[in-house]
Amino acid sequence: MIKETLKNGFWRKSLGAWAAEAREGSIDRREFLALATIFGASTATAYGMLGLAVPTPAHADETPRKGGVLRVGMFVKDQKDPRSYDWPEMGNVARQFLDSLVTYTREYTFEPALLEKWDVNADATEYVLHVRPGVTWNNGDAFTADDVVFNINRWCDQSVAGNSMAARMAALIDPATKKAREGAITKVDDHTVKLSLKKPDITIIPGMTDYPGLVVHRDFEKDGKDLVKHPIGTGAFELVSFEVGKKAAFKRRTNGKWWGGESHLDGVEFIDYGPDISATVSAFESNELDCTMKTDAGYVAIMDKAGLIRSDVRTSATIVARTNVKQKPYDDQRVRNALQMAVDNATILSLGVDGHGTVAENFHVAPIHPEYAELPKKSRDIAGAKKLMTEAGQIDHEHELITSDEEWYKNTGDAIAAQLREAGFKVKRTVLPGSTFWNDWTKYPYSMTDWNMRPLGVQVLALAYRTGEAWNETAYSNPEFDAKLEKALAMPDPKDRKVIMKDLEQILQDSGIIIQPYWLTLYNHRTAAVMNYGMHPLYETHLERVWLKA
Amino acid sequence: MQFLSPGQIVVRSFVQLWPVWASLAVVFGLSVVYRRKLGLFGQVVESATGFAGLLLVLFWLFAAVFGRRIELFDPLSQIARMQNTAPGAIDPHSGLPYLFGGDKLARDVFGRVIAGARIVLIIAPLATMLALSVGISLGLPAGYFGRRVDAVLSFLANLVLAFPIILLFYLLVSPGILETPIPYTLAGVFFAVPIVLFGVLFVSGYRTQPTQLALRLALTLLVGAWLFATFVFNADPFGILKVSPSTLNIFIAVALASGPGIFRIVRSLTLDIKTREYVLAAQTRGESAWYIMLWEILPNARGPLIVDACLRIGYTTILLGALGYFGLGMPPESPDWGTMIKESSPFMRIFWHPALAPALAMMSFVLGLNLLADAIREQSLRD
Amino acid sequence: MGSFLARRLGQMLLTMLFLTLGVFYLVNLEPNLRKLAISQTEMHATDQELESWLQKNGYRKPFLVRYATWLGLWPKLPNVDPATGAATARFSWCDEPAAPKFSGVVEGDFGCSTKFKVRVVEKLGPALEATGLLMFWVMVVMIPVALVVGVVSGMREGSRTDRTLSVISIATTSTPEYVSGVVLTIIFATWLGWLNGSAASATEGHLSFYNFTLPVVTVSIYGMGYVARMTRASMIEVMSAQYIRTARLKGLSFTAIVLKHALRNALIAPFTVIMLLFPWLLTGVVIVEVMFRYQGFGQTLVDAAGNNDIDLLLACSIVSVALVLATQLISDVGYAWLNPRIRVH
Repeated sequence: MIKETLKNGFWRKSLGAWAAEAREGSIDRREFLALATIFGASTATAYGMLGLAVPTPAHADETPRKGGVLRVGMFVKDQKDPRSYDWPEMGNVARQFLDSLVTYTREYTFEPALLEKWDVNADATEYVLHVRPGVTWNNGDAFTADDVVFNINRWCDQSVAGNSMAARMAALIDPATKKAREGAITKVDDHTVKLSLKKPDITIIPGMTDYPGLVVHRDFEKDGKDLVKHPIGTGAFELVSFEVGKKAAFKRRTNGKWWGGESHLDGVEFIDYGPDISATVSAFESNELDCTMKTDAGYVAIMDKAGLIRSDVRTSATIVARTNVKQKPYDDQRVRNALQMAVDNATILSLGVDGHGTVAENFHVAPIHPEYAELPKKSRDIAGAKKLMTEAGQIDHEHELITSDEEWYKNTGDAIAAQLREAGFKVKRTVLPGSTFWNDWTKYPYSMTDWNMRPLGVQVLALAYRTGEAWNETAYSNPEFDAKLEKALAMPDPKDRKVIMKDLEQILQDSGIIIQPYWLTLYNHRTAAVMNYGMHPLYETHLERVWLKA
Repeated sequence: MQFLSPGQIVVRSFVQLWPVWASLAVVFGLSVVYRRKLGLFGQVVESATGFAGLLLVLFWLFAAVFGRRIELFDPLSQIARMQNTAPGAIDPHSGLPYLFGGDKLARDVFGRVIAGARIVLIIAPLATMLALSVGISLGLPAGYFGRRVDAVLSFLANLVLAFPIILLFYLLVSPGILETPIPYTLAGVFFAVPIVLFGVLFVSGYRTQPTQLALRLALTLLVGAWLFATFVFNADPFGILKVSPSTLNIFIAVALASGPGIFRIVRSLTLDIKTREYVLAAQTRGESAWYIMLWEILPNARGPLIVDACLRIGYTTILLGALGYFGLGMPPESPDWGTMIKESSPFMRIFWHPALAPALAMMSFVLGLNLLADAIREQSLRD
Repeated sequence: MGSFLARRLGQMLLTMLFLTLGVFYLVNLEPNLRKLAISQTEMHATDQELESWLQKNGYRKPFLVRYATWLGLWPKLPNVDPATGAATARFSWCDEPAAPKFSGVVEGDFGCSTKFKVRVVEKLGPALEATGLLMFWVMVVMIPVALVVGVVSGMREGSRTDRTLSVISIATTSTPEYVSGVVLTIIFATWLGWLNGSAASATEGHLSFYNFTLPVVTVSIYGMGYVARMTRASMIEVMSAQYIRTARLKGLSFTAIVLKHALRNALIAPFTVIMLLFPWLLTGVVIVEVMFRYQGFGQTLVDAAGNNDIDLLLACSIVSVALVLATQLISDVGYAWLNPRIRVH
């Protein structure tokens, strides 16, 4: 089986060696699973290499009942070109009739979807994608390598405003033309596509799993880039109706079968109950909803009390209180470190999100990331913070901490502000409505930003802390950090990588640019009738296998 | 964690509020002793309604004044283990109780309600008075002169009433707008209105008594200049109040949100009262238009206006919280009652006390104002 | 009468023109355009990307040209690709023309909602209907109760009934609707299960006592106290007037005096206040709408403002002007009826 999946000798050997180490315990098991699946091993294969069986979900022994419409409480945001999606909710609507090439699972592994499998060469510069045979679009067209080439080319188009896939596909893009490099994407045959990268990059496959990576039909552009008018997809459901702010309804795919079989549900409805939790609770009480797409940390207790069943998943989704090093007084590292020292991350976790998460350590790589390296723990030091701030001559500076108005943002900001005040710093809190906040999110001197989970730690480091990146809101620039990150992205041997990651984490932590208090645990709630439905670490709702008890 | 019993909470709260009780005792004691010399005030205190109203209003006034002595904890400080604790929970570190429990950010609800009085008792009445004076100054001439004047003023009021103020709220918080002169210009105009109003009031009423007039005008200008300096330029010469641009926005928001409504009420009352005999009599006497408006019509319209103002102080307090949705005005951690209620009401299903305490505080304050206003009216008409 | 109505209509058009011009100015300020571009591209989009989007979709054309386009006095132009010269409709979701065409308010086209991705009328129609229903039922419940409470209180100032009713009125109106709403929902929906705390099905056209009572009652008790207190205040003024005293001395029955003489004169202020409730119910009950998930006009306006949805905001402003001026017209006609000596022009 291993031979079959991993044609490339190098990875077969490496994975074999890592599996041995993972069995011995010198590499984390989760790390092995994630890495093995990035390089093309199926989840079952990866578990098999560890000598384990794939964990089965609860109630797997019950026979699923076919039928019923699942009603999911979720914001129904307006639809746009998938590559510029900025809310998981947008992706979740489209996901019911679109698929991605590769999906990320609740077990933190990568699974082929529209791809059947893929091969990676030794230095991660060449990827061969094998398109899944027998997939049809719901308009009858066959899904082929042309669709894959079309989509990856679209992702590489940097000239399109708001195309966030371009950042994930950077290794394929020619900066001069702002499009895919000549020869970067080649169709080998109808079911094979080859990607040639200009430099090694292990994040290409993980980048394809994100919600902007949903695959659209090759006529998408011709049809006016409108998914609502032309809901052509490969997925298990078909779009029936769509109304922003109200409802998106789907039915089981009728014309042409879904490649994964057939959904248990007759249909799915996403219903928008707005931001007031009271409306959602009422909807459950009057039997208008079966489950939520997510439950924000602050509201978990309310939903629990309403008698609903909760599902949770540990993630590396997080929030950071970041300083912008180009703005005074945050250009002074002492000021930044003083802010960090004044805050006890565990307290922020308990007050900001009612303890629904795990403590983080101000370097934005999570223990659940495969490449996490442990650093010595730091503890709060008020006296030290005060001393450092006084040294920097900024003890009288009034820090303005800006956050968006979402509940957990606000609470986390208020908790940090209270801790800073306790250390004798002056803090003013400002809250902006979400839509206003994002106007200038990279420019505020001191503000808070949330980051969704990315499967690999290096993905966020590359997006957020590398010199000159569009999303580098800290304006941090450190050639040493950039160089080491380059190496980490190229994926050296696991043992070297640990050393490099440790350095990267240490540099980031010492720089003081972020207070990163916690990693979120994500939740959703459901009634007892909903089976096989769980929270996904990337907020994705995969409903093909969900079923409703009679 | 240890808790006080309900009885202990009551006793402890009562004890904690001793400066308020002492002050109340002094005020009521003196007013009973000197009731004959106090005229209307004495009568008001003697009536049950007046007593109740005054008690509630003075309670919050003294609570605001002595706030720092009464609070057991700083209203912004958080003690993590006290998060969402029930009323009477004792902080094991300091040994002091959270009398009304802790909120979602582990702050002392009791201390916050008391601290909230300091904010609410300054901002809410002042902002309401501002809106009221704008409404009166424009409503009187609109109703009295009619025709062109009415057309122009009604046009303006309707423009503001129909304006999607939310758009302005969003704009006022956009980075960059606060630094422009827009908020200051708006505030400058609004704060000028009451000064002009009182000026005209005294000029028209005391034309024949130059000394009285000079005295009153001087006082108006003095108070007006202080308000102007403090609120528009944030340069209080006495250093009592600090007004940040975001607080200034509250006044603008209240004036814009309440002004047109008050304008319409005043206009309608003026239209009605203008037809009464005593107005016609004054016109025949040859009194000036402003004299008639301010000294004949306004006093006769005061009943509904006072009621409106007393209730509007409550609405303004609620608005303090609602404005928070737009990031306007108070920061989310502010202990003012409106923000406290808004921040904690979604969680009433699991923890009722953080929302209930400020809601009761606000209700009792508004109730007190209204009862007091009722009593003053009743007593003043008794003879 | 004809010229009176014509003048009022002229006023309304003038107000609409001024207001939309003012709103148009505000929505075109740089932070707002930026907000629009962000919502249409991507939250984290760069300055360059936002600028290119604004350029491409015609938001950088002169202010007055665009206002005239919206009015329908200037042709609406499609997006032209500078490279190929091909013209494409600006917003595909609402069938905007792919060729220049006069299509604005004057022609009956209120434009395209960028937030809801439908034509403005398609969004505003249902929202207005929902708000209309809420207004109707709130008025039906609130006004009779408020007037009765106010009149009964004011008739006998200082009586025990008066005090009780006054305290209740003040207490209900000084409790924010988002507190009373939650409390009522917990009691009647969660504990007793008699009513539905979600009015979602009511917006879908299945309005019933079960799903609509809570929002109506929540709004009503909040507004009721205010109207009642205003009525009481007016009533008291009138009851102490000379002609009522005279009537009482003449020995007329108390009820007759109240109904025949006092009430009509006491209604000026409450009537004004009731008319002011309409604009309030149009835009001011957003929190209740959100709490009960009742998708009315207020929520639409907030969403439009939050996303700087230009055409939707302008259309909301027009609706708002129409309602505000209609209430003013009704008030003015009403004053003349309540007090025939009042003349309104």
